[in-house]
Amino acid sequence: MTSLPYPYTIRVDAEDKVRGKPIYAADDNRPGLLHAALAVSTIAKGRITDIDTQAASAVHGVRLVLTHKTMGAAKSAGFIMGGGYGFQSLQPMLSPAIAYRGQPIALVAAETLEQAVESAHLVRARYAEEPFGVSLDAPGVEVVHQADTPLKNFIPEIASGDADQALSKAPVKIDAVFKAPPQHQNPMELIASVAEWRGNKLTVHEGTQNAEAVRHGVATALGIAPEQVEVISPYLGGGFGQKNSLQMQTLLAAVAARETGRPVKLVVPRATLFHAASFRPESRHHIRLGAERTGKMLAAIHEVDAQTSRHDLFPGEYTATSSRLYGFGSFRGVERLVRTDVQTPGYMRAPFEHPACFAMECCVDELAYSLGQDPVALRLANDTDTDVATGLPFSSRYLAECLKRGAELFGWTRRSMAPRSMRAKDGSAIGWGVAVGAYPGLTTPAVAHLKADEDGCVVISIGGHEMGQGIRTSLANTVSRKLGVLPEKVRAVIGDTRAAPQHLTAGSWGTASAIPAAEDAADAMLMALAEMSPAGIADRTPAEILKAAGRRTLEVEVQRKPPGQPDEILGRLRAGLPSVAGPVYRSHVTFSYIAHFVEVVIEPGTRRIRVPRVVSVADCGRVISPRTAASQVRGGVVWGIGAALRESSEVDPRYGGFLNADLADYVLPVNADIGSIDVEFIDKPDPVFNRSGVKGLGEVAMTGVAPAIANAVFHATGRRLRDLPVRIDHLL
Amino acid sequence: MQTFSYTRAETVEDAVRSVAGAGPRTCFIAGGTTLYDLMKLNLETPNKIVDITGLRDLNHIDAGGHSELVFGALARMSDVAAHPQIADEYPAISESLWRAASQQLRNVATLGGNLLQRTRCVYFRGGEPFACNKRDPGSGCAAQQGNDRGHALLGGSSSCVAVYPGDLAVALVAFDAKIDVLGVTGERTIAVEALHREPGTSPNVETTLKSGELILRVRVPKTTMGRASTYHKIRDRESYAFALASAAVALDMDGDTVRDARIAIGGLATRPWRARAAEQVLAGKTLSQRTARQAGDAALHEAKPGRNNSFRIELGARTVADALMIARQRA
Repeated sequence: MTSLPYPYTIRVDAEDKVRGKPIYAADDNRPGLLHAALAVSTIAKGRITDIDTQAASAVHGVRLVLTHKTMGAAKSAGFIMGGGYGFQSLQPMLSPAIAYRGQPIALVAAETLEQAVESAHLVRARYAEEPFGVSLDAPGVEVVHQADTPLKNFIPEIASGDADQALSKAPVKIDAVFKAPPQHQNPMELIASVAEWRGNKLTVHEGTQNAEAVRHGVATALGIAPEQVEVISPYLGGGFGQKNSLQMQTLLAAVAARETGRPVKLVVPRATLFHAASFRPESRHHIRLGAERTGKMLAAIHEVDAQTSRHDLFPGEYTATSSRLYGFGSFRGVERLVRTDVQTPGYMRAPFEHPACFAMECCVDELAYSLGQDPVALRLANDTDTDVATGLPFSSRYLAECLKRGAELFGWTRRSMAPRSMRAKDGSAIGWGVAVGAYPGLTTPAVAHLKADEDGCVVISIGGHEMGQGIRTSLANTVSRKLGVLPEKVRAVIGDTRAAPQHLTAGSWGTASAIPAAEDAADAMLMALAEMSPAGIADRTPAEILKAAGRRTLEVEVQRKPPGQPDEILGRLRAGLPSVAGPVYRSHVTFSYIAHFVEVVIEPGTRRIRVPRVVSVADCGRVISPRTAASQVRGGVVWGIGAALRESSEVDPRYGGFLNADLADYVLPVNADIGSIDVEFIDKPDPVFNRSGVKGLGEVAMTGVAPAIANAVFHATGRRLRDLPVRIDHLL
Repeated sequence: MQTFSYTRAETVEDAVRSVAGAGPRTCFIAGGTTLYDLMKLNLETPNKIVDITGLRDLNHIDAGGHSELVFGALARMSDVAAHPQIADEYPAISESLWRAASQQLRNVATLGGNLLQRTRCVYFRGGEPFACNKRDPGSGCAAQQGNDRGHALLGGSSSCVAVYPGDLAVALVAFDAKIDVLGVTGERTIAVEALHREPGTSPNVETTLKSGELILRVRVPKTTMGRASTYHKIRDRESYAFALASAAVALDMDGDTVRDARIAIGGLATRPWRARAAEQVLAGKTLSQRTARQAGDAALHEAKPGRNNSFRIELGARTVADALMIARQRA
C-alpha cells in the first residue's frame, strides 16, 4: 500500500484552527486563576546583592512575590543535552547569580494581569556586576574545541581522507568566511504555562514540543515523582525548536501555584522571550573548497565557531550536514564552541543545517563561477550515492532529481551565466540563484495505542506534538488507508502524557517515527480483527467486524524503536529523555534533500531586494500528507527568505542580551515580502529507512534557501555578500 | 500597568478642562495604539485618561471645501487613506497613511494621535538599563555609541538622535499643513512643521503643544501640486515597518521644467523634515535623473552619520530622487 502516493486531503484540524477553537495555554481562563508576571535582570552578568519586593508586594491584588530567597526547595532539571530536561542547566531564581541580561529575578502572581505587571515593575534589585561578552569576538569569551569535550562521544568530528593535503594540491580553491547572526524563533504563541495543583498532583497546560520533558523536568525540579505530574499540550502556536524542552517559566508557575493554592498562568512577554528561551546561536564558518579544473570536488574543510552559553555546551553539528552535500574527495570538519554570557542557545528550525548549507552552498556557487561552470551542472557532477563521512550508502538520495526537476520548473536554461546580465524593463537587476539543502534522517522510539469502536471511530494515541506541521493529518491519512475508514473518523490524541509517552517532537523525526508505529498498530489491529472474524476482513470496516463479532471496542498497543537501537531506548522514552537515532545507521546513512531556485529583483535606485518567485523540490521519501507537506515547505522557504534578508538578533556589547527584542525591530518577513513559492516532491519512498518510506521534511525545507538568495544577489549584482542578513545597506 | 481613572469627554471644552492643570500624568486617549503600547512598556504611566473618542465633531473628512482639505483629529487613518478624492488629488497623503502601520492599526488609530506618535528608538522603548534623556532626562543617550542603524542623521543633538517615526506628518509638512489646537486659553493654529521639536538639550519635550492642548483638526491648503505627488517609503520589509528613509514630494511642472517642488523627508530626522534646499535645487530646472539626484543630495546635505547609519545618507538621497521620478509620472 505504501507504494502509492497519498491523496491531497485537507488538514484535519483546519476548520477548528480557522475558527479559533483550539485553546492554547495563554488562552486559559479557568476559575480562580492568578496571573503572573516576571521582573528581569537589567545587568548582563553578576550577582543580586539585594532585592526589594516591598513596593511590589503592596500593589493591590498581589498574592505572591517570589524571588530566589523565597523559591523554597527546588533545583535545576538539568540541560537536555547533558542528561536533563531543560533548555539550559540554569534555572533562574534558584540563586542570586545572574548569567545574562533579561534573566528573571522575581515572579509576581496577582488577581489580574495588570496588577501583576505593575508589581513586577516595582521589584528593585541591586547587583554586583561582572565583565561579560555576548558575541563570538567579544573580549573574555572562551573558545572550546568540541572534540576536546565529552560531546565527541556522540558527535564525532567528520573526517574523511587527508583534506589538507588534497586541498593543497587542488588546482582551483575557494577560501571564504561566512557569518550567520543569532536569531530568535518568535512563534506567534508566546511561551506560557498554566499550573494547577489538586492535592499533591500537578497539571501543567503548556504549548510544548516535549510534554514528557516538561513532566519529568518539573518533577525533578520540585523533587516529586513524575507520576504526580500531568502535562497537556494538544496544540502549539508554533514551536520551531524553541519549545523542545523544559523552559524556565514552568517551574516558576508551578511553585507560585503551590504557594498560593490557586491555578497560576504565566505568559512570557515578547521582549522577555528574547532572553527567556533558546535561540539560534551566532556562527562563523570558514570554508576551504578545492576542485579539479573539471569541477570535481577534491577537498572541503569546514571550520565552525558557534556560540554557546557559559553554563552549557550546546553541541555544534554543522559539518554533519555540510559534509553530506556532495561526493567530496576528502572532508575535514572542525566545530568550536564559544562560551558567551547568554542563555543557552538551542535548536531553532534547521539549527545547524541552515547556516552550514548557507556557507557551503555559497562556496559552491563561487566555485562554479571561478570554473565558469553552470551552478546546477557543477552540483549534478558532484552528486554521490555514498556517504563521504562513513563510506556507507545513502538509504535514498534523490538530490539530482530535485535539481533537475527544479531547473525544469524554474526555466533555468533561460538563465545567462554572467553576473549583472539579466535586467527587467524598469532597469531592475534580476538574479537567478540555486542552492541545495540536506537534513539528517533521524528517528525515535514510539508507543502507539489504537482503539476502534462499533460506531466507526478510531482513536490513535501516540507520541507526537502538533505544532502546525500537520502530524494529526498524517496520522489520520495513515490509519485511514490501513483500516479503510475515512480520515475524519480518525482522531489523534497527541501531546498528552496521559495517553502515550511523549518524546520530543523536533529534528524532523515526527513523521518518520510516528507513522511507521501507526502502521504497526494498524497491522496489529487488522490481525486482531481477523482473529475475531472467521469470514475474513476484506472490504469490511473495523466497525462492521466489531458489530458482527458482538464487540463494542477493540484496542491494541505496539511499540517501535529505530533500527539498531537497544531495548533500553524505550526506557529512555518513558523517562522523557531524548532517544534519537540517525543519521548514521548500521548499514546506511539517511538524509532528506531539497533544491531551491530563486529569482531576486533589485531596484536600480534604492536597491530593495525582492524575491518574486521560488521553486523548491524536495526528497522526503513518501509524502504522507501532501497538502500539509507543501505547506511545510512554503513555510520553510519563508523562513529562509527571512534568514537571508532580514532576521538578526542584535547585540549592544555595552549592555549584553539582545537589543531588538520585539516584532517591530526583529524583522520577520510579512506577506507582502513573499511572492510565488512552487513546491514539488519527488515522493519516492525510502523503504530502507522505515516501512512507511518516510523521511523528515520540516527542517530540510529551510536549508539552502538563504544561499540560493545570496547566490541570486551575486548573479544580479556581482557582489558576494557572505554575512547574513543581506540587506539594502550592502548594495547601495 | 498602573491603575488609572478613566473619563469620557462630552465636548472638546470638557476634554481640555479635564486635562489642563490636572498634572503631567493626565492624557487624552483616542485610538490608543501608541498610548497602550507605551503603558505596557511602563514608559507612559498616566493616572488619568480622558477618552475623546465620543467627540463626534472631530471625526470628519472634508475634501469639498474651496481652499482647504480639513481632517478632524479623530478621523481614522484607514478612512483618510481610502478616501477616493484624497487618493486621487493628494496621493502623497493617502500613501503616507497606507504605508503606515497595519490595516488593523489604521482602522483604530486617529490622525491626531498619529501625529503625536513617539519614537521607536530601542533604547527609549527598552527601558532599564538603557540611558535615555527622553525617558529619563539627564541619564544620557545610549544610542550615541550604540546600534544606531535606524537613528537620526538630521536634527539630532548630543542628547538624542531618536527618529520621529511617523509618515503622515512628513506628507503634511510638504503641503504646508496646519493644525488647530484648543487649550484652556482658547484656540490657536500651529504649522505641522512647527509641531515637533528637535531634541536639543531637552529631548523629553517632543512637541510645541502646551499642557492640555487638544488637536482639533488638520488643515491642508489645496494645491494642484497634490496630484503630482507621492510618499515613497523604503524600509526593511514591504509592509508594517518604519521607514529607513522616506520622501514626500509634490511637483508643479511646466513641461519638463520644475516650476515648484515640495520635498519633505521622513525616517531620517528627529522631526518631519522639510528639505527646502532640495526644493531650490530643482526650481526652474529640467527634471531628470541627474537633477533629481542633486535634489536628493541637497536634502541630505547636512546629515551627520553615526556608527551604523551612514548608508542612509545615500539611501535618503536615492529615495528623494526616486520619489521625484514617481511624482513626475503623475504630473
